[in-house]
Amino acid sequence: MNIFTSYFNFLNHLSQFQKFIFYSLIILFFIFFLISISLGSFNFFILDLFSYQLDSLNKIVLYEIRIPRVLLAGFVGASLGISGASLQGLFRNPLADPGLIGVSAGAALGAALVIVLGSNFFSEYFFNTFALPFSAISGAALVITLLYFFTRGFGYQGITYMLLIGIAINALASVGIGILTFISSDSELRGLTFWTMGSFGGASWQIIIPALFIIIFTILWMIPSARKLDLLQLGEPEAYRLGIDIQKLKFKVIISSAIIVGVSVALSGMIGFVGLVVPHLVRLLGGVNHSYLLPASAFFGGSLMMSADLLSRILISPAEVPVGLITSALGAPFFLWLIFKSRKI
Amino acid sequence: MLGGFILHLEGIQNMVFKKVAFFLLIATNYLSSECIQSKNSNKIVIAGGSLTEIVYDLKEEEKILAVDVTSNFPPEAKALPSVGYVRALSTEGLLSLGPTLILGEEDMGPPLVLEQLKIVGVDIRVIKDDFSSSSVLSKVECISKIIGAKKINTKRLITNLNEKINVLEANVKKNNRNMTILLILGLQGTSPIAAGHSTSGQGFINLLGAKNVMEDVEGWKPISSESILMKNPDIILVTKRGIRSFKNEEAFSKHSSIKFTNAAKNKNVFSLDGMSMLGFGPRTIETAIFVSENLIN
Repeated sequence: MNIFTSYFNFLNHLSQFQKFIFYSLIILFFIFFLISISLGSFNFFILDLFSYQLDSLNKIVLYEIRIPRVLLAGFVGASLGISGASLQGLFRNPLADPGLIGVSAGAALGAALVIVLGSNFFSEYFFNTFALPFSAISGAALVITLLYFFTRGFGYQGITYMLLIGIAINALASVGIGILTFISSDSELRGLTFWTMGSFGGASWQIIIPALFIIIFTILWMIPSARKLDLLQLGEPEAYRLGIDIQKLKFKVIISSAIIVGVSVALSGMIGFVGLVVPHLVRLLGGVNHSYLLPASAFFGGSLMMSADLLSRILISPAEVPVGLITSALGAPFFLWLIFKSRKI
Repeated sequence: MLGGFILHLEGIQNMVFKKVAFFLLIATNYLSSECIQSKNSNKIVIAGGSLTEIVYDLKEEEKILAVDVTSNFPPEAKALPSVGYVRALSTEGLLSLGPTLILGEEDMGPPLVLEQLKIVGVDIRVIKDDFSSSSVLSKVECISKIIGAKKINTKRLITNLNEKINVLEANVKKNNRNMTILLILGLQGTSPIAAGHSTSGQGFINLLGAKNVMEDVEGWKPISSESILMKNPDIILVTKRGIRSFKNEEAFSKHSSIKFTNAAKNKNVFSLDGMSMLGFGPRTIETAIFVSENLIN
């Protein structure tokens, strides 16, 4: 019980107004969840969800297809939001994004390997539903390991060095994806193209349950670093003098971001700009301290992603718009506006 | 060219006229010459699996110099030199083989490479296809004319195809005409990618006399799982490559978006070789007969 209450200490660092925003965002998350599971090719009336009046086909759609998909969208959005917020804090750079350290690219390369080379490398028994997520997560893990060794346990030469390594890794991974694109056949090419634009269409219970556990535990593990990230904003030497173990903090933030981003990319493809934009919107709403920013970004990211997925499902039904197109279409103009705004100052 | 242009400013009208005439010449050339016999068809490069198939069926395979990667039938064709992917040909690579004739499907490209090859004087023919059984026949006739195939072989192939088309049409009549089909190209990590209208997939569905559940959408597009359930197709066709992440058709039928459809309930899920289904060569008719016979039983 003591551990439980002490975990929620971060709430004490929130002002009254921030608490109000934070709780509103939680409510918003559940409202969007309910809206998302009620709308689609089949429409459900929200109250019907709690009654037993659904016929069997509707039940199947709701429980086997709709709810896993919406849950996956919500949790991937939360992952991207919170990892964006913590990485922006760690790098003390408002333009940092989970893609920046190369983890998304590593995961993408892993997934592309399976899509294009797939059956040539995996035995028939292993090669089932889990092959693609497994390979994508291995790709992300490989990038994290590389980062770890190049920066000697994230301690060497500070943050800039790590960003440069991230750029190099991104370039390497895009070469890999490019080569795979070049040698892929027509149908593989289509699979690859749609995959890089993101989709939650692959969601099923057996795939998402392990992912949801990983994401929830990692997010819970990240939130207590909020206070340390606040102090880090003073600069690395100052934070060190205030008693922050910087190397440990970097380790925690990078590893946890890499895990949740790796899992997210593995299950839903490349979804751009959510990790970048969500923390900024949350800062605009309520302020910059990380005790507020991290959990609020998770809930806001989740809400945003569920609504983007809802649009992707209903805009041109029965076909669907890749969800990454929707998030990037909203995110890219916002990114430009950020640059424009910072230029004026 | 720019220098010449400036020097002959006074002749500008003349030049514009020449250009227009040149384009008209190319345009009319393009429209009319596709099925005329080529001057020299002894060294053919083929970009398009169905065309390779037809040339083999016409027993003119010794003229083939190289093929593209979609030419995987008959198996002997795979032993020929490869010019790469049909949409990404390379000028130098092609010229190094010294072809006299290039036969391609409409997706052959890129356009710049085709232009360059035309300038060098290689005879390039784009064989049109509207994804129907009659266009399989017209492709055979057209190719036979271009490469000057033996009349007897052409006639035998055409008769054979006509017989098969009759069998197919008879089967289609026996089947319920209101069947709906979903044709899936692949599903890996994303929603299934399905055939909309204006695709070879739509053509194959038409051959079976059925209705495409995705006919309102153009091209190959992802379809969401719940839309599949809502459309509830009677038959699901999927490429072999597309389901290779599943052990077999049965495992695929248990996929969450497939298992509750009429198709899965009545075991009308077929995995077929992609080129034999969608290439629209002679094999496409045979594949359609195979599916239609399974539906009758």
